Amino acid sequence: MEKIIVCIKGVPEPGSVKVDPKTHTLKRESMELILNPNDRSALEMAVRLKNEYNMEIVAISMGPPNVIPLLKHAYALGIDQMVLLSDRAFAGSDTLATSYVLAEAIKKLSPFSLILMGLKSIDGETAQVPSETASLLGIPSLTNVKSLFMEDNKWIAIREIKYGEEEVEVEGPLVCSVLPTAFDYIRPPSLKRLLEVKNKEPMVWQASDLNLDSQRLGLNGSPTQVVEVIEKKIETKGVILEGEPEELVEKLIEVLKEKRLIKN
Amino acid sequence: MLERVKIENLSKGNILAFGEFYKNELNNSSLEILSPLKEVAQALNKKLILLFLIGSLEDIKNLEEIKRSIADEVWFVINNELKDFKDDLYTEVLIQIVKSSQPYGLFFPATKIGMSLTPRVAGALKVGLCAHVNYLEVKDNQIVMSRPTYGENIIAKLVSKSSPVMATISLGAFNIKYGEKEPLMKEIIFPENFSWSSKLKIRNFIPSKKKPTKLSTAKVVVSGGRGLKNKETFQKLFELAEILGAEVGATRPVCYEGWVEEEKMIGVSGVTVKPKVYIGFGISGALQHTVGMENSEFIIAVNTDKEAPLVKMANLALIGDAKKILELLLKKLKN
Repeated sequence: MEKIIVCIKGVPEPGSVKVDPKTHTLKRESMELILNPNDRSALEMAVRLKNEYNMEIVAISMGPPNVIPLLKHAYALGIDQMVLLSDRAFAGSDTLATSYVLAEAIKKLSPFSLILMGLKSIDGETAQVPSETASLLGIPSLTNVKSLFMEDNKWIAIREIKYGEEEVEVEGPLVCSVLPTAFDYIRPPSLKRLLEVKNKEPMVWQASDLNLDSQRLGLNGSPTQVVEVIEKKIETKGVILEGEPEELVEKLIEVLKEKRLIKN
Repeated sequence: MLERVKIENLSKGNILAFGEFYKNELNNSSLEILSPLKEVAQALNKKLILLFLIGSLEDIKNLEEIKRSIADEVWFVINNELKDFKDDLYTEVLIQIVKSSQPYGLFFPATKIGMSLTPRVAGALKVGLCAHVNYLEVKDNQIVMSRPTYGENIIAKLVSKSSPVMATISLGAFNIKYGEKEPLMKEIIFPENFSWSSKLKIRNFIPSKKKPTKLSTAKVVVSGGRGLKNKETFQKLFELAEILGAEVGATRPVCYEGWVEEEKMIGVSGVTVKPKVYIGFGISGALQHTVGMENSEFIIAVNTDKEAPLVKMANLALIGDAKKILELLLKKLKN
């Protein structure tokens, strides 16, 4: 059976963000993690393709053990296998180091026909990992994909670019980052699978399981480094008005008139 | 006519900026990023090169614009296969240029194409890549790049330990500057045996039906954040925008909530705006957002929290419920 790999990420629940004051990287291990919202459409696309073409889905996530519930959630949505990439050595990885770990794990899962990821995480927001991983694997990549299907053993993708939409034919395997707005409907987890996954645990791979080069991992293995941080001091510079909404709106209208945005 | 230079004879150690063309149309973001890069190049005593991958020179509509750019040189790679944006082929072409010309830095505008392409190039070269840089400087003979970090209201300054230094630069973060001297124009000649093949085939193109957002050049911006409580209230900003002749902007959480499409996002990973008047409803002002609007001429903030950063930044702050005030304002303006 052909295999789809979906890479998902645990991101901090808004309001529970903790940052290491020394490295300025997120302390993921001590935060409440939620599934990166943009990964929902990648998982939905995977499940739809699985149903259409009778494929198998493996979900992988790199992070501390508190991402396991997210992998189980993915299982309840319809994925077949869970893989957790977890090692202290991975902490503080930039996108190159992250893509290296993902690429090596993906190689271990070969052969595969497709890798799906969310467009970007809502924490780092770089959107770099999908294409960077594809590059390390030496396979093609497409970003902002909103629809994907097969034709004569080739993938046909619709991707969004600034100017419109392109229909692209690709010889697989390939990596796609999926547009967050790709689907109007995203399925909820199935109750049956939620019960089933209670007794299942993901496979856990550490650096040694993947024969990784320790020089390319974590904070020290990351070529981009924070050298300085500056706090932006904001001083009150204008007028602060308190009062009843009526009064405030009167003032606002006055200013809008002054600025000639509305007529007197 | 262009001077033809074999790839192995390209000058070395320059700062390269990727110029984006799509369907023969220049993306102005490629000219924006030259402004900070010119200063960096001068501080490091290096040349700034604007690099284009195109299908054919004849089709290009904006050649005059390019001739006015502040780049020291403009390099073209011309091949019919480069007519469409093919991530893998573009990467291969750039890698060949990097290998031959060993640039000091390689920068891209953070457009959708730029952000698809840059990580492939960085991955293939195994070098570091900074995303959405909005400030660049030279310190101790090194390029230092700034961007806000997630979760704290601080700006992180980053360096890359690897070479070339690579980054994508935030859209709208810099104004286009024009030069006095026409840059030298060169065509890079690739070896006969270079393979222009790609695993991608662009079969069809459907131009966008949506009108491109004018947010980055808007004179008036009305923007909304989570303080507006829900999507329905957020939609009312469009009514206000209509009355004021404004464009609608949004914060990141609101875009991720799906209240409005991401094109409206103001901030480090969105659009930078510099309007005459900016009005923020229910926006507390996380750094992610404020770096994208701090250069507005007149800032009005409507928020319940007196201590919110945007309230402090504002020329006029109204302390109150953003939803109520927006609704009341609309009612009065419509009467």
